This record gives sequence, structure tokens and C-alpha cells, in this order.
Amino acid sequence: MTESSKGPTTVLSARSDLTSVPSSRGVNNLGYRGWSDQLVPGWMRWWVITSVGVRRAWQSRWLRRMLVCAWLPAIWFGAGIFVWEQAANNAGWRQFLLPFIYGMPRTSEWDGIRDAIQSANLDSSRHTVWAWLLLSFFRCPQAVLMVMVVGVIAPPLISQDIRSRAFLLYFSRPLTRAEYLFGKVASLWAYLALISTLPALALYLLGILLSPNLSVVYATWDLPLRILGASLVLMLPTSAMALCFSSLTHESRYAGFAWFAVWILGWFTYLAVSAALAINASQEMYASHHYDHYGQPTVTMIPKESAWTHLSPYHTLGRVQQWVFGFVTFNEVLISTAILIAVTLASLGITYHRISAPMRV
Amino acid sequence: MTALIDLVEITKDYGRFRALDDVSLKIESGITGLLGPNGAGKTTLIKVLLGLVKVTSGSGRLLGFELGRQNREIRANVGYMPEDDCYLHGMTGVECVQFVAQLSRLPAVEALRRAHEILDFCGLAQERYRTVETYSTGMRQKLRFAQAIVHDPPVLILDEPTSGLDPEERQVMLNRIRLLARDHGKAVLLCTHILPDVQSISNAVVILARGKVQVADTLAELSRPAKPSLEVRLLGESDRFVEAIRKRGIGIELRTHGGLVLVGAPDQLAPQVWQAASACGVGVRSMTPSRNSLEEIFLNAVRVGGSSD
Repeated sequence: MTESSKGPTTVLSARSDLTSVPSSRGVNNLGYRGWSDQLVPGWMRWWVITSVGVRRAWQSRWLRRMLVCAWLPAIWFGAGIFVWEQAANNAGWRQFLLPFIYGMPRTSEWDGIRDAIQSANLDSSRHTVWAWLLLSFFRCPQAVLMVMVVGVIAPPLISQDIRSRAFLLYFSRPLTRAEYLFGKVASLWAYLALISTLPALALYLLGILLSPNLSVVYATWDLPLRILGASLVLMLPTSAMALCFSSLTHESRYAGFAWFAVWILGWFTYLAVSAALAINASQEMYASHHYDHYGQPTVTMIPKESAWTHLSPYHTLGRVQQWVFGFVTFNEVLISTAILIAVTLASLGITYHRISAPMRV
Repeated sequence: MTALIDLVEITKDYGRFRALDDVSLKIESGITGLLGPNGAGKTTLIKVLLGLVKVTSGSGRLLGFELGRQNREIRANVGYMPEDDCYLHGMTGVECVQFVAQLSRLPAVEALRRAHEILDFCGLAQERYRTVETYSTGMRQKLRFAQAIVHDPPVLILDEPTSGLDPEERQVMLNRIRLLARDHGKAVLLCTHILPDVQSISNAVVILARGKVQVADTLAELSRPAKPSLEVRLLGESDRFVEAIRKRGIGIELRTHGGLVLVGAPDQLAPQVWQAASACGVGVRSMTPSRNSLEEIFLNAVRVGGSSD
């Protein structure tokens, strides 16, 4: 700031130069005054963009409704943890629990869980069951809600800046493109954390509170880290891809359309291909044990996830989250992980290019 | 005096098109008008100053900060008012100004207080609580100006600050700019097509044409005619007066609008004009030393720029 602009020098506004009625000015009209107080740290600039992005998204009534809905499934999964912990001390609860166990992914731990229930030694399987519940929470309700929440928040984030040519306002300030991009992504992360990470951590805490003793913490200490890992898997590629769509158009509805199209088309394409392969019996199947409506055990053959999984972003994310929660090995999700990393990097690269483009001409 | 803006042989190419061609320029404090026809390179020059585009060759400094290397420092000390209609969607006027103040690192509460203060200064009263999309062209212009000055930068780059304003608002805007330069020591680079605006408030003028600096000097220096002369307007018949002046051996030119231009030093000519007018029985309506108008300066510069290619 210049020396001359320092200090609380008060002068009449320019308007008063032209009018001879200074009383027409508001009482708070102090004219132009210099400003030379303490500045906030420079690394906080992204936070300004994030906070504005969060506030603007919050104005959407649909988003607020979705956030309420996003926490409702936590009640169901909380009940699951409650039942499991009750079963540890009560044989009746164990019989009640057994049918649900058949719904778990058929892994090497599956038999162990069933045996643990039958032998009333539930402590040994607590980690697996909790991990399975948390994974299911991430997969079925939260991933679907994530698609909807991001579909509401992300499309206007950059496209409206393109339409209103706001880049000149941003980048004529001491703000880098990376800070701008990070600020936008972080506003998406805030909501994604609100619907996935926080409820999952709340579920974990609920489990701790319902458990018979604090030794449970020792057995499940890694689950909060896995929750954070699964959240990152959910947030990084999806937010990057959503912002990429937003940066490709100045019409946010097109970005929203592209976002939902990718998920829906990916899902249905994967299902169609899987069904076709199953009909031709060329795909490996696994048995899913259930109880039917009459309480009789039944087995459904489900095609194992294959290379075609990668057609569907939903299933690709799910595969990597399975690895995060320890249900599959890393080798099994190598391609899925590589695809997610590639999508994330490509999306960020395209977005960065798009926000730089208006400055180059 | 150290130049606020010091450019040395700046060249900027967009592919095959050369937008800035070997531009060397020193701009000092006060208000400097940046003029040029469409496509002259004014906007590119501003983008170069803000570090928004990389120069092809050359170097420069703004407030002592090196262009291209210290862009953050430069942008922190420059208030830029873009010509384009750019705004932040879905925000009210006061939120927009607060937001850009925060981007310039003002604390949130202070940014809000300052936003209100600056919007008062810029004449946006209750409109500040309306979303920007509902603003008229003039309101948006004032909002952009408020955004440019909210962080109290020492240098202002104003791109067409008066376009879209009605005559009264235009004068008010010019007064604001004049006040900031005069009372608060702001250095202002005023980029505009409206020559009277530049003439009324600028100390210096830079004229660009085809990417080159054609003219860069103080307005006083540029306004001085090549030959000293005096412009005279009379009340009544001028024929006898013209004859009387010629008899005194003074060169005289008749202008189409009835004015007369007497060639010579104004101080020496003035007594002779009074004597001749008295002798011929005509009244002297006005008598002023001749000055080059900015329009003439501009047209000459652009013509020279065009013919040199």
C-alpha cells in the first residue's frame, strides 16, 4: 500500500464533489479511506473460494434435503452394529443375525464369521463384520447419494464462472489457478465428507459405545483410517470428474447431464454386458446364500466382477473400496486403481487447461 | 523519479499475430491515459502487466516487482477493473466486493466492512443487497470499480471505466478516479476510447497502434503545438481585423468555424490583437494560446502507426 494511502484520512466522496447537498449521503458514507491493516496468510486464499462455494451450494433446498437423507441410512447400519454387539451376549440375537451374515461378500473370512456366530465367539469376527457394515454403508446408500449430491453441487461450480467471465476477477488477484481449482474441489469435498466420512465415523463411534468393553478399540483401531481411505477413494476421482464436466461448458445443466449420464450409462452397460456373459456362461460365477421369503435357505449365482466392471464408475469405485476395507487384495484391484488415478489426473489436467484458456487470449 | 511501470522491449505473439511489438515504456505516478484503436494491443498490455499472459520476449517491472516472476506481488498491489462484463454469479453486490477483498487477503469481517464503505463511495446504495445479475450496466460498472479499489491498491488499471455510464455518472466516475489519484496517491492507468475522459483527468498519455507505442508523453507536452500560435474569436466582422493583422506582418489562418489562428508567441501577439480589434471596432470573444487537441494527437499517432507498417 502506498504511504499516502495509509492512515484513516477521511475525504468526501466523489459524488459530493458534484452535488452541493452532502446531507443526502448516508451517515455511514465516509468516502474513500486507505487501508493498511494486517493481512491474513496467503495460503488461505483457497479457503475463501471453498467457503463461498459451500455457502452457495447450501442455498439449494434439494441439497439440504439430500443431506438429511444421507444421514438416514446411518440409522440402519447403526442398528446392524447394535444387533451384532447384542449377539455377542445373547443366543437369541445370534440366531436372528445368522441370515444377515449370508448376505456378506463370500470371502475367506466369511466362513469364520459364520463359525464365530455359531460358536458364540463373536470377538474374533468383530473387525470383519464392522468393516463389512462400513463398506456396505459406503457402497449402497452413500455412493448413490454421492452421485446425487455432486450432481447438484458441482455442475455450476466452474461453468458459471465461465459464463459470467469471472476468471478475470479471480486471476487479477494474487490467486493461482491451482489455488482456484483446489478451492472449488474442496467445497465439493466438504459436502462429500458430510455425507460419507462423518456418518461412517459416527457409526464407528456408535459401535465403540455399544461394545461390551474398550478392548474393541484395540481390535478395530484401523477402521477409522480405512474410513478415511474409502472416503478419499470416493471423493478424489468423483470430484475431479465432476469439475471437469463443469469446466467443459458454460451451461451447468449440460455438465449435470453429463455427470448423471456417465454413472447411469456405466451402470447399465456393465449390467447388460455381465448379463450377456452370464447367459453365455462365459463368466465366472459365485454363490450368494440368502434366505427366501419363507425363511428357507437359497442360493443365487452372481457373476464375479470382471474386466467389464470398469465400464461402471460405481463398480470400479466399489472394487477399490473393497480393497481399502480389506476384502480383496491389491492385485485384484490394480486395474481399477489405475483407472481411478488416470481419470482423476486427466480430469484435473483438463480442468486446469480449461480455466487457463480464457487468460491466454 | 522511479517509474511505477517500466517495460523494456516487450513483445507478445499469439501464434503468428504480434500483439505487442517491442514495447518500451515508463509510466510514472498520476493518471496515465492508455489509448489506441481496436486491436492496438491495449488489453494484451494490461494482461502482461498483471502477469496473466507470458511475454514472448522482453522484461519489465511494476512497482519494482519483476513481470512474470513476481506476479503475486504485482496483483496484490494492483486493482484491475476489467472492461468485460464479468461478475460472480448468484452473489449480491456486497458479497462480490467482500469476496474479492478476501481474495486480496483482507480478513473476512474487515472485508465486509470495507466492502460497504467502498460501495458507499462508488454510489451503490441499497442495490448492494441485490444479486449482481439484476444490476444494470452502469451498476455493474460501478461494482467492478469497487472491486478494483476495495483492497486499497497503490496502482489502478481501469479498462473503460466510463463506458455504459450516463453523462452524469460518467463525470462522477471521473471525479472518483481524479480523487483517488490526487488525494490518495494512486497511480492510475486509464484505458479508454473516450478521448475527452483522458483529456480531462490524465497527466500523461500513451498511444498504442498495431502493438507499438506511437506516443508516450505528458499531456501538457503533447498539447503544445509545433509552432506557437494564438487562437482568437471575434464578435463582429472579421475581414478588417484580418487585414489589419496582416499589415502588421503577422501570419494568420482562418478556421472553418470562424476562428482565427495567429502565428507567433502568444505573449507578443496579445497586445497587437487588442490594438487591431480596437482600431477595427470589433470585440474579442476569446483569445487563447493554441493547443493540439487529444483527438488530433491520437489521429496523427494512429496514422503514423498505420503508415509505418
